[in-house]
Amino acid sequence: MNPELHDVQGLVARGYGTLPAARFLLMGLEDRPSARAWAGSLADAVSPGDERPQDRALNVAFSSTGLQRLGLAPEIIALFSHEFVEGMAAPDRGRILGDLDRDAPEQWDWGGPAQPVDAVLLLYAKGAQGLDALEAEQTRSLGTGARIVRKLETSDLQGSEPFGFRDGISQPFVEGLSKAGPPATTLRFGEFVLGYPNEYGRYTDGPVLDRAQDPGGLLGAAPDDSGRVDLGRNGTYLVFRQLSQDVGGFWRFLDQATRRADGSSDPDRRLRLAAKMVGRWPNGSPLALAPEAPNEDLAGANDFGYHVDARGVQCPVGAHIRRANPRDSLDPRPGSDRSLAINRRHRILRRGRKYGTPLGVDEALRGGGQAEADERGLHFICLNANIARQFEFVHSTWLNNPKFAGLYDDSDPLVSPSHPYGGTFTIQSEGVRKRVRDVPRFVSVRGGAYFFLPGIAAIRYLASLT
Amino acid sequence: MPHQAALTIVAPVRPGQSESLGALLASMGDGVANGSVVDFGAFTGVHFARFILVDETRDLRGEPLQALLIYMSDFDVSSRQHLSELVEKAAAGIDRLFGHCEGYPDAATLTPEIRLASLRRYVISEQARYVNTIGRTVRQVRSEAELRERVEGFLDGRPQDDGAGDPVAARAAVQKLAAGDESLRWALEPPEGLGIGFRLKELAHLVGGILLVLILLPLLLLIAPVFLVLLRLHERSDPAPHVRPPPELVRELAALEDHLVQNPFTAIGFVKPGLFRRATLTVVLMAINFTTRHVFNHGNLAGVKTIHFARWVVLDGWRRVIFASNYDGSLESYMDDFIDKISWGLNIVFSNGYGFPRARWLVFDGATDELAFKDFLRLHQVPTRVWYSAYGRLTNANIANNARIRAGLHGDQTAEQTKKWVEAL
Repeated sequence: MNPELHDVQGLVARGYGTLPAARFLLMGLEDRPSARAWAGSLADAVSPGDERPQDRALNVAFSSTGLQRLGLAPEIIALFSHEFVEGMAAPDRGRILGDLDRDAPEQWDWGGPAQPVDAVLLLYAKGAQGLDALEAEQTRSLGTGARIVRKLETSDLQGSEPFGFRDGISQPFVEGLSKAGPPATTLRFGEFVLGYPNEYGRYTDGPVLDRAQDPGGLLGAAPDDSGRVDLGRNGTYLVFRQLSQDVGGFWRFLDQATRRADGSSDPDRRLRLAAKMVGRWPNGSPLALAPEAPNEDLAGANDFGYHVDARGVQCPVGAHIRRANPRDSLDPRPGSDRSLAINRRHRILRRGRKYGTPLGVDEALRGGGQAEADERGLHFICLNANIARQFEFVHSTWLNNPKFAGLYDDSDPLVSPSHPYGGTFTIQSEGVRKRVRDVPRFVSVRGGAYFFLPGIAAIRYLASLT
Repeated sequence: MPHQAALTIVAPVRPGQSESLGALLASMGDGVANGSVVDFGAFTGVHFARFILVDETRDLRGEPLQALLIYMSDFDVSSRQHLSELVEKAAAGIDRLFGHCEGYPDAATLTPEIRLASLRRYVISEQARYVNTIGRTVRQVRSEAELRERVEGFLDGRPQDDGAGDPVAARAAVQKLAAGDESLRWALEPPEGLGIGFRLKELAHLVGGILLVLILLPLLLLIAPVFLVLLRLHERSDPAPHVRPPPELVRELAALEDHLVQNPFTAIGFVKPGLFRRATLTVVLMAINFTTRHVFNHGNLAGVKTIHFARWVVLDGWRRVIFASNYDGSLESYMDDFIDKISWGLNIVFSNGYGFPRARWLVFDGATDELAFKDFLRLHQVPTRVWYSAYGRLTNANIANNARIRAGLHGDQTAEQTKKWVEAL
């Protein structure tokens, strides 16, 4: 089945890398008729997946409270995925996502129980001016239907994330979207968009409606040939988390952990430990291929596996990129097609942007000052058709899990909570392993929500509700 | 060395008593038992235990079924001893719980003997069980975990000079540590093996089972075509509605999950009506019990390594089956493991259950209908409010690895073997 890219929002097809300026507007919806009118105006304005935007792009996604406020019937909302309906801040989600204590939704700047967000408007442009112009245009069409509850600015760190590592290298190959990859690592379109077969060869459940519920005939057919219509078709779930990164804390911890016997800093060992934690050198070259030193020729390398390094001597078993995407390293039979097939069921499309000013390693080590006080981090955004099996699974079973791949007390050293468990980082070697203990958490959650990124016809349907 | 045994108690709840029993269970834990009413840690060698309340309902024909109080446990002593300890060490709690049940005597008339006899009347046997590693006791699991902590801490404390990574020197140092410490010296001896009597009994069971199958083989081959035709007829016509679990149920279940690194799973469902399904299920459960006992008895259930203990128990004269397990990680990863690694095994059993996604030839499809299967499991889950784990911060992978660390401490090793051994650290 060919993807209907003209009806899929553009963010699915591309991360808008050619539009480095971006701003995310978190919206609250109010007066229902005006909110619907606003949604209607967006249906004509959002960037579709079949056009590569020249100088600006716009996409929109709604949370379950947003769908409620537009007047979508509760029994229809209930057809969406349980995780989306309940929301990221739901009680008990915190244990799955690690959002506890200082990261608990009650502590968030937005998206927590006291500050729910109904929609997010994602704006992209070539530069600051174009972005301001796009925002001004969009603000004018808000009327009394929607208000901006928070503006999230982004910054262009030239392909690096705030800790200083090249980012965004590993994205899954997706059938029907641009690049074709090797079959063993190419995913079905239905892993990322509803209405298409997924990696199990099935259609992900979604809001399939009777024809009578779509009197305007706006929606496409349901994939199951039942004669019904599909509000989910060409839509997907958008996971948004604002992750604040303690860059100063990160480098100072590494510096302390790698001091020489005389107490002086050892920049080489410091960098090595950082690379062991990440699984790549700052320039992006993976330890799996460049275990001893960064290699400029391998800066964007992504064609490798881990089963040849089952032990973790080159790239530690607990390194960030080895957990976020274990590739061919897990049961059954690491290195086999079956191992890769299971890995394919737990991938996400990352679409995030960084925010805040960069902080260099030297500044980070010096500490203090205004530069460090500024907040910086990642507006993590990912797309997936099944939040539980994709985003949440990766997050809880692979990243946060101190027991990942036979480990004991090692959660992800870069991004995961280390309290009350998981603060150990084990570095495997040919002989006796080394351990770094009491690794603190370098990332904290400032906000987050689960959104639905509807197909364009579905936006029209939402606007047409009466 | 003892092998693990199990106990299943199923007691019908008196009409009108469910609510107060539910409140009592709720006071005993929020997914993990808090030790009030019944202190599971006080019993000898308990690995896992749980109390659940199955609400009253109607069967597929519409006949009423009473609410049930169910207790399930896995332990290293005999079932007889475990039952005795229940009434000796938790008499008051047992009375409070089973006082809600049909046939449990009045508090005034209770003596230890009557209590034991009353409880024994509720005991039923499991149709099939799975034990991750037969013969591995709670004591061994815990002491080997402690050993590993000590060894790792010791290695962290050694001077991190150039020689620190040398496997042979590290092993010698650890051996010296254990030899010099009264509380660790046991680790220099290999663990106690399974008793010769038990091993002979198991061997006899294995041989007997194989012989029985061989004797029956001509008959089985004769029946096979008929069975397959009947099977396909049933599979085509059995209803397989995809019902999503109500959000309230999912919320209630989620609140009880992910408090430890392991979780309990309890689900109950109806057997499809008719003799064919009942006969199939009978044979399947017998076959499962045989294979888990003799084949999948060492750390691996047909590719799934995360399950500690599991059991299948038939209720209400084969109208219902309850499945209970203790597993590592989240429910999502547990279900994905099922689908990705042993969907065929799941289908063989659960496709005899009412509402299971449609299977083909007993092994195909079924659980591979990912979301229908996950919804089926959630829909049939029973909240496990009172759940005890003796080692809730250890996964099966950890436990097996700890055993490896200990096993490498005694005897002679080549440098190559020692290099392998330090991989466990």
